[in-house]
Amino acid sequence: MLPLYGNDVFSYATAMAMAAFIGVGFGFILERSGFGRASILVSQFYGTDNRVLKVMFTAIATATAGLGLLSGVGVVDIAGITIPDTFWLPQLVGGLMLGVGFAVSGYCPGTALVAAGSGNRDGWFSILGTMAGGLVFAVAWPWLEGFYTQGAMGPLTLPQLLGLPWAVVATGVVAMAVGAFLLAEKGEAFFSRRAGMAPPASSAPRRNLVFGLLGATSALGIASLALPQVEPVAPTARVPVAQDAVALAEALVVDPHGLWIVDLRPTTACEAARVPGALCLPAEDPAAAFIADLSATRRLVLYGEGDLAGLPAAAERWPGEVAVLRGGWAAFQASVLTAPVPPAEATPEAVERYRHLAALHGQLTGSKAPPPPVVAKPTAVARAVKKGGGC
Amino acid sequence: MHTDSAAAVTPTARPFWNPYLAGFALGLLLLATYLLFGWGLGGSSGPLRLAYLAVATVAPDWAAGNGYIAPYLGPGLSILEDWMFFEVVGVFLGGVLGAYSGGRLLRNHVDKGPGISVGTRLFMAVAGGMLMGFAARLARGCTSGQALTGGTVLSVGSWIFMMAVFAGAYATAPLIRKAWR
Repeated sequence: MLPLYGNDVFSYATAMAMAAFIGVGFGFILERSGFGRASILVSQFYGTDNRVLKVMFTAIATATAGLGLLSGVGVVDIAGITIPDTFWLPQLVGGLMLGVGFAVSGYCPGTALVAAGSGNRDGWFSILGTMAGGLVFAVAWPWLEGFYTQGAMGPLTLPQLLGLPWAVVATGVVAMAVGAFLLAEKGEAFFSRRAGMAPPASSAPRRNLVFGLLGATSALGIASLALPQVEPVAPTARVPVAQDAVALAEALVVDPHGLWIVDLRPTTACEAARVPGALCLPAEDPAAAFIADLSATRRLVLYGEGDLAGLPAAAERWPGEVAVLRGGWAAFQASVLTAPVPPAEATPEAVERYRHLAALHGQLTGSKAPPPPVVAKPTAVARAVKKGGGC
Repeated sequence: MHTDSAAAVTPTARPFWNPYLAGFALGLLLLATYLLFGWGLGGSSGPLRLAYLAVATVAPDWAAGNGYIAPYLGPGLSILEDWMFFEVVGVFLGGVLGAYSGGRLLRNHVDKGPGISVGTRLFMAVAGGMLMGFAARLARGCTSGQALTGGTVLSVGSWIFMMAVFAGAYATAPLIRKAWR
C-alpha cells in the first residue's frame, strides 16, 4: 500500500534527490501559473485576476479527490499520511498575519522563491524578510511558547469532524471550488471593467475539461465507498499485534509522530518513568476512555507492567491499528532503556546487533553505551528523513 | 517600471498557463508526493532553516539556549538531512527553469505598482516578509505547507489558516492600494 516511503523502498539519499526534483516541479508550475510576479499575485486581492484562488483550489480539489478515490479502491492508506496537528488559535492568528504580510510583500514565502528565481529583486527581499521574521519569532519564543500550543486538537481532519467519509468531504471541496471559480470569473469581469482593464483571458473548454476531471474523480471516489472494505471497520474482537520492545524503539526513532503510545500502568508509576512519548492514564480516567478521542491516523501501542491481559474497551473499539508491547514496561526497560552489554564473542552479526541496540539506546536515553569490542565492519544506522518545520 | 502582465516586461515571453490546468498539474504533483512520501510540499521552512543555521554559526551559545531554535540543532537534524530543505531549494531552481524556458528571466527587476519608488517597494517586500516569517512559525507552516498541503489532507487547522490568510490579505489590500495600483 502507498505511501511508499514507510515501506523502505528507497534510500535516504534517493529521498533527498526526489525532494529536490519534486521541488523543481513545484517551482516550475508556480512560475508557469504567473506566481513569480507580485503584480499578478496581488491582483487576487483587488479582484481583477483570481489566479491565486483558481490555481490553489484546483490543486487542493484535485489532490484531495484523488486521495479519496485511491484510498477508496485500496491503493493508498490514509493512515500512512501525515495530517498536520491542529492548533486552531495560533493558526488563525498566524493566518491573518500571513495574509497581511502577503498583501504587503506581494508574495507568500513559496512564491517569493520563484520570484527570486525569475530575477525579481523584490523576491529576494521578501525571502530576507521571511528569514528575519523567523528570527524575531525565535527571540520572542519565551513569550510565545504558551500561545503556540493553544487550541490543540491533534491531527483532526474535516472527515473526522463531520463524521463523513473522505470521498464525500472531497466532493464537497470540489463542489465548493467549482462554485467559487464561477463566482470569481464573474467577479474579475466586474472588477476589471471598473478598473478600466481587460478581464483576464480564460478558455472555457480548458476550464470545463478540468471541471469534468474533478467531477469524475469525486464521483468515482464516492462510488468506491460501495466496494468491500480492505480492512474490516466493524469492531470485532480484535487481536492486537504484539510488538517487540526493540521494534517499538525503532519505530520511535524513525517516526515518533506515527505512534500513540499509552501507558496503562497506574498514573504515579507512569509519571515516574515511561516509554519516551507515552501518554499516562489521567488519574480521573483509569479505564483509558480518552483513547476514543485519539485520531486513528497513527498506530496505537499499549503497554502495562508486563504482558497485557486484555485491551481497555476504548482500544477495542478504536478504528486504527492497535499493538501491544510484548513484555510491557519491564521488557522495554530491560532491552532498550538499559545500556546493551557488548557481545562476548565479536562475530560480525553480534557486533552489528550490538551497534544497532546501542544506537537505539543512545537515541532514546541520550546516553552512550560502551563501544563494541572489535570493529568487524561498519554498519549503517537507520535514519529518518526529517520533515522540517512543517512548511 | 510598472508591469501589469508578462508581456509588458518581455514582449517575447510565452503566455502563462491556464490557471485551472496549472492547478490540476500542481494537484497531481501534490498527490504524487503524498503517494511517494506520505507528506506534502513546503515553502517557508527552507529560508527559516537557513536563518537558524546562520544564527547558530554566529552566536552558537545563544542559539543552543533558545527554546525554539535548539531543537533544530540536535544531532541528526542537520539542514542536509531535511527533506523540506531540499524541496525548497528545488522550488527556487524550478522558478529559474520556468522563467528561463518561458522567456521571462529578468535581471534585477523590481515588480511594483506605478505610485511608489523602488526603495518603498523593497521596504514593503522585507516588512511583509518579516510578518510572514513570524506568522509561518506561529501557524506551523505557510501558504504551501499549511494552506495547500494541509488543505489537501483536509486538516481542520489548515482550513482555518487558509481562510484567515485570504481574510488578512483582502482586509489589507485596500489600505495599501497606492502601492499596487
